[in-house]
Amino acid sequence: MPYSFTKIEEDKSKTITFVFSFLIIFYFLSAWLIAALAKNFLIMEGRSYDHNLSWAPLNFSETFMVLLVSLIVSAGHWLFSVQNVIANMLKVLDAEPLNPDDTYHQMFRNILDEVAVATGGNAIEGVVVPTMAMNAFALSDFSGRSMIGVTEGLLSKLNRAQIEAVVGHEAAHIVSGDCLGTTISTSIFALYNGLLNGITKLLDQSRYTRSSYGYRKSGDSAGGVVVFLLLIYLILMVTRFLSLLIRMFVSREREFRADAVSVRLTRDPLSLAEALYKISSRWRGSGLAGEELEAIFIVNPQFSNLDEQSGMLADLFSTHPPVDQRLAVLLDIAHSDLKSLDEKIKEEPSFKKSLPDFVAVKPQPATPAVPVQWMIHQDGAWRGPFSLTQMTGLNGLKPETWIRKNDGPVIPMYDDPQLRDLLQNRIPVTPAPELLNAKPPEVEVLMCPRCHLKLSPIYYEGGKILRCFYCSGVLVSENNVKRIIIRDEFTFSEKIQRLAQGIRETRDKWGQGTQHIKTANLLTCPQCNPLNVKMDHRFYTAAYPVEIDQCFTCGSIWFDPDELEVLQCLIEQRSQERDEKHEK
Amino acid sequence: MIMMFLWILLGLVIFLLLALALNYNAMVQLRENVRNGWSQIDVQLKRRHDLIPNLVETAKGYMAHESETLERVMKARQQAVNATGLKDKQEAENVLSGTLRSLFAVFENYPNLKADQQMLRLQEELTSTENKIAFARQYYNDEVNRLNTSVQSFPNNIVANLFGFIRADFFEIKDAAEKEAPKVQF
Repeated sequence: MPYSFTKIEEDKSKTITFVFSFLIIFYFLSAWLIAALAKNFLIMEGRSYDHNLSWAPLNFSETFMVLLVSLIVSAGHWLFSVQNVIANMLKVLDAEPLNPDDTYHQMFRNILDEVAVATGGNAIEGVVVPTMAMNAFALSDFSGRSMIGVTEGLLSKLNRAQIEAVVGHEAAHIVSGDCLGTTISTSIFALYNGLLNGITKLLDQSRYTRSSYGYRKSGDSAGGVVVFLLLIYLILMVTRFLSLLIRMFVSREREFRADAVSVRLTRDPLSLAEALYKISSRWRGSGLAGEELEAIFIVNPQFSNLDEQSGMLADLFSTHPPVDQRLAVLLDIAHSDLKSLDEKIKEEPSFKKSLPDFVAVKPQPATPAVPVQWMIHQDGAWRGPFSLTQMTGLNGLKPETWIRKNDGPVIPMYDDPQLRDLLQNRIPVTPAPELLNAKPPEVEVLMCPRCHLKLSPIYYEGGKILRCFYCSGVLVSENNVKRIIIRDEFTFSEKIQRLAQGIRETRDKWGQGTQHIKTANLLTCPQCNPLNVKMDHRFYTAAYPVEIDQCFTCGSIWFDPDELEVLQCLIEQRSQERDEKHEK
Repeated sequence: MIMMFLWILLGLVIFLLLALALNYNAMVQLRENVRNGWSQIDVQLKRRHDLIPNLVETAKGYMAHESETLERVMKARQQAVNATGLKDKQEAENVLSGTLRSLFAVFENYPNLKADQQMLRLQEELTSTENKIAFARQYYNDEVNRLNTSVQSFPNNIVANLFGFIRADFFEIKDAAEKEAPKVQF
């Protein structure tokens, strides 16, 4: 039985036994150790002081007492973590329920319903996390309640078929039952993380009140702070240890399995591959709260080198397999998927007719005139085959559209020389308005790092920047960025303002995170392309967390669509706020 | 000696009864899954039939010249609603899918219609319903496949004949852009 909700019932008792016995063993061992240490070094010391350090283990009755205590503690811990698991986790993740008036949320709701139908028809709830990061997660608890959450960034940056594939992957975790185990064990360890966060917050507050308002006597709570620090350090050690342990529970294989089940449910391996690629090459949410929960996400929010490795150590301690491997498997499935589709189409009479009869009429069929034809992948389905002339008339072709030429491999469109020319020719050659005494236009042609097609120069806020016709990303030199930011020729659309608002809220809520984003797939700098210099994926600054790609060598910055405008909008809003404050 | 033989016989009988019970239960489960799958398809088909009048109503305001296409869709819908039995339903739904597809092709000529907010919502709903129908059918056919295999293979076929488990029919929709089940391999 590949996917059914009945399997959750079977797995339930297994999960309970496993996690509960882990808790008992953990508490028993640590309590035993503490008790033994106390017995040897605190109690013995008082009685007789001799130099030969002797180690006396606990006797039977003492061990029994310890066992009893650890049983009670683990039962308490268990009850605490199992109550309202989902509600607690959602609180940690700061997730919100779906808004029925929002078209994006409505689409997500529909997709959830579709995938629920594909699994046999049990309801899956949906939530969104209001952040620009891209990720998705699944939760389920003992009452059979299950939930899939995505970030707003994912909803806005992926298309329908890709979101469907991601939801399919998460649903696979739920129906295969491994989501329950992950949720429960994560929730168990979340207790420590909750404690840690609480104490850190407390400490932050006390420091804040002292330094900025100064109405606290100095030295008032110095001792308290030291105790706090020690406590934090201890708890930090425990949680680090435990999060290592949780990684051992979570096998990387289950991500592969969930990918495969997602393909079975949605029959669309390429969209899942696209989605994984997009998520892995952007900000996945590192620095946000809830990153201790990495095991429940589709792609690890924290980029870790361990994840991208194979080998025993990585297999043991990593929760997610290398993204490249996952992509390779999916592309492989896509290939075989396509093959069967090809055969089916060839069986159809219309295709047979299109193989011309005049091949036989011609005396020498030395080179059998196999027409060059392409299959294209659009909206989660394969279309075609199309000839080159037919392709020219097609709308909605993008450089990253998956194509397949005759029986060749599945490649993105920009990798096929003929189609690349086709796309290249579609770029309108608008002579960039030259300034009166401008230098003669540079001849060098730069290629878009995403679409691999040439960039066209445009003027924006008085500066010359390079824009990609297809993906609308722009390349700006370092100096130009500073100029563009100061100027405010253009007003921002409602969409840009909403995005900027979202970023501000994220920043205010989570605090200013790190500036660097580690990702798996870095872009190559268009300017330094011959040298194959990779661009650094990072936030513009910690105060303006807009994702950008900057080349270290030449300083040029690549902005994906909207990113430049959002950055400008953020900075303008900030300066307006400052002005208002000054006026007051 | 006879005593021992009897014991062995008793053991065998108990074993056979147990196997029978397990077999029977497994097949009941399968049959329920098939029924569940069918009811899912039914729900989604009904949803589609409910959405189409809204779609046609919204489209009418923009495309007065295409009243023929719209009428064809409504007629096909009526036929699909009236159809009973699996074979008839399949037939009617295929016709309906065809007319819908031609309607969507015509939409391309009306940029105003494509930008209409109400229309966008309806189209999203309809896309979702189409997907749900496809997924429900996929689930149903998978379960039917499992039931049929189980009913025909030995020794299940004995149990099946005994208790009247019969093969179920697949729900097929002729569709050129039909997605094939990929072979999953590692």
